[in-house]
Amino acid sequence: MRNWWKFLGIGLLLFASIAGLLIPLAPALVHVSPDRIAPGPVDVTVTGYNTAFGGDVKVRLVNEGQAVCASSVAVLDGTHLTARFDVPVGFKANLTDLEVNGLVYQGALFTEGLGTGIAAQTCPEQTMPAKAFVFPNRSILYESIRNLHFHVPMWFTMIVLMGISVFQSIKVLGSNSLDRDRAAEMAVRIGLVFCVLGLITGALWARATWGAFWTNDVKLNGAAVTGLIYVAYLVLRGSVQDAHKRARLAAIYNIFAFVLLVLFLFVVPRLNAIDSLHPGNGGNSGFSDLDLDDRLRVIFYPAVLGWILLGTWMYDLRVRAARLETAMDR
Amino acid sequence: MEPAEIAALLRLEMALDLRQRAAWAGMLLYVVSAVYVCYLAVKGGLGLATWNALFWIILLFAAFNALTRSFQREDAGRQLYLYTLVDPRSVILARAIYNGGVMVVLSLLSLLVYTLLLGTDVLVEADLGQFVLAVVLGGIGFASVLTLISAIAARAGNGIGLMAILGFPLVLPLLLTVMRASKLALDGVAWSVTSTYFGGLVLLDVITVALAWILFPYLWRD
Amino acid sequence: MRTLLSFFLLLTTVVANAQNAAPSWLENTLYGNGKINVVVAVIAVIILGIGFWLWRMDRRISGLEKDQRQKQR
Repeated sequence: MRNWWKFLGIGLLLFASIAGLLIPLAPALVHVSPDRIAPGPVDVTVTGYNTAFGGDVKVRLVNEGQAVCASSVAVLDGTHLTARFDVPVGFKANLTDLEVNGLVYQGALFTEGLGTGIAAQTCPEQTMPAKAFVFPNRSILYESIRNLHFHVPMWFTMIVLMGISVFQSIKVLGSNSLDRDRAAEMAVRIGLVFCVLGLITGALWARATWGAFWTNDVKLNGAAVTGLIYVAYLVLRGSVQDAHKRARLAAIYNIFAFVLLVLFLFVVPRLNAIDSLHPGNGGNSGFSDLDLDDRLRVIFYPAVLGWILLGTWMYDLRVRAARLETAMDR
Repeated sequence: MEPAEIAALLRLEMALDLRQRAAWAGMLLYVVSAVYVCYLAVKGGLGLATWNALFWIILLFAAFNALTRSFQREDAGRQLYLYTLVDPRSVILARAIYNGGVMVVLSLLSLLVYTLLLGTDVLVEADLGQFVLAVVLGGIGFASVLTLISAIAARAGNGIGLMAILGFPLVLPLLLTVMRASKLALDGVAWSVTSTYFGGLVLLDVITVALAWILFPYLWRD
Repeated sequence: MRTLLSFFLLLTTVVANAQNAAPSWLENTLYGNGKINVVVAVIAVIILGIGFWLWRMDRRISGLEKDQRQKQR
């Protein structure tokens, strides 16, 4: 069975896409109304995301470690509840956290009537919900965290295809084989398809997350430089007529450019390890600091492998078509 | 490949290049006029970051201007003659060293003209030793990347346009690192912080020269 | 059965979101907390991109087939 890897690739993509879309996000609290409290009784309406409020719900305010329990809680539906508090005078901090059954909304309420502390209250123990298989719920990402399984594999696939191209180019220098040269060119062309897809999907995600289609970021500059390098590679190919000379010049440029590109993508960002918005760069933590990151990884790695196999399949088809074209022209 | 051969090739390079007075004058005129245009455009009042960025942009284009000639000036006959005499690796090493020297001279000259015209206000806090080191390492880095690119462009038979297209994306990693290093030097940051950048620059220079050394023989023979 | 149902639900939410989309749908996704629209857009772009590639590949192979027929004649 020579084609097992094609089936494997499609199977992995199917699994990763379905699981990446269907697995729910972890419950979180996303909204409170009103968003400020003053001493005295107050009704706070809490909106949750993917929560299942109901039954015995315990709500409390926490300010610098000092808690105030809700005097009564009315559950409206699975994602809405209203809690009544008797806010005392003397909270220490400007911002008060709100907790519902172990879910914390940090800095939820702007607080008035500050002082040096309140009389301690002991609230009933909050029952944590059982941990289900969920994706992390991060404040600016929310549902778009699923894009991890669709946008990021584009770049992995591109780098693998460029790696295949360099491998073929090294073989060209050793053998002067035009067939290898064609394979190197086609790998670059398919790699550029994934580069374009990665750029567009990245721009959409960036607009929804950071508010701009393009930001001055180490990773984005790397992507732009990669695109420029390989377009330049194709321009170089276009400007040489003699096939053998073209094969050798293109191979030399490809190897030189790939090594510098790897340096640029993986070494220079370590040097300039500031000002990146991407997770894992600069001051930003990677996704891996989340307690549930393994749940993302279980889907992410199959997605990456699936896309790499699909890219390789596309490259294989393209090389075979190009080989036929040369054979027909003769 | 032996030191004597490289030294002989270096002397040859120098003798040939010094004969081309017009080319040298052209490079100098380019630097002076570029700086003068900047001076007219901004009229002093430059922030530190802009001062730094403008300087490196001028230097980048000066490097392209100077190094495009590296492999353009010889005809096929002379190449064939050299090919029969020496190891191609000596040729690329000699030329990289020579181009590095040219770039160091050109960078320091640019720095001189630049500070004369655009003022030294931003240099008050600067650690001058670090800044000059960044300029020298940057110049050598441009030379080492662009020497091989110049050879490829000359072989492709389409000089200046191709040189810019091929070279620009490859110079970017170096440019970003060196700009960051020289910015830190202008801010007067301590050696303990900037030494990583200088280490990175030296590493980039060494890797590019090593790659050129490995790949050039394949380019050389036809 | 439950997964099938939730898949259906997901589809309907997507459609509902698409129907609700005001002219500035990007603004909505920026401030809304759902942000599922971005995922939908990203998947749409990828499918369109691969589809475009397939279409060009199709044209290329059609050309080859034409050459083949002409050769056989």
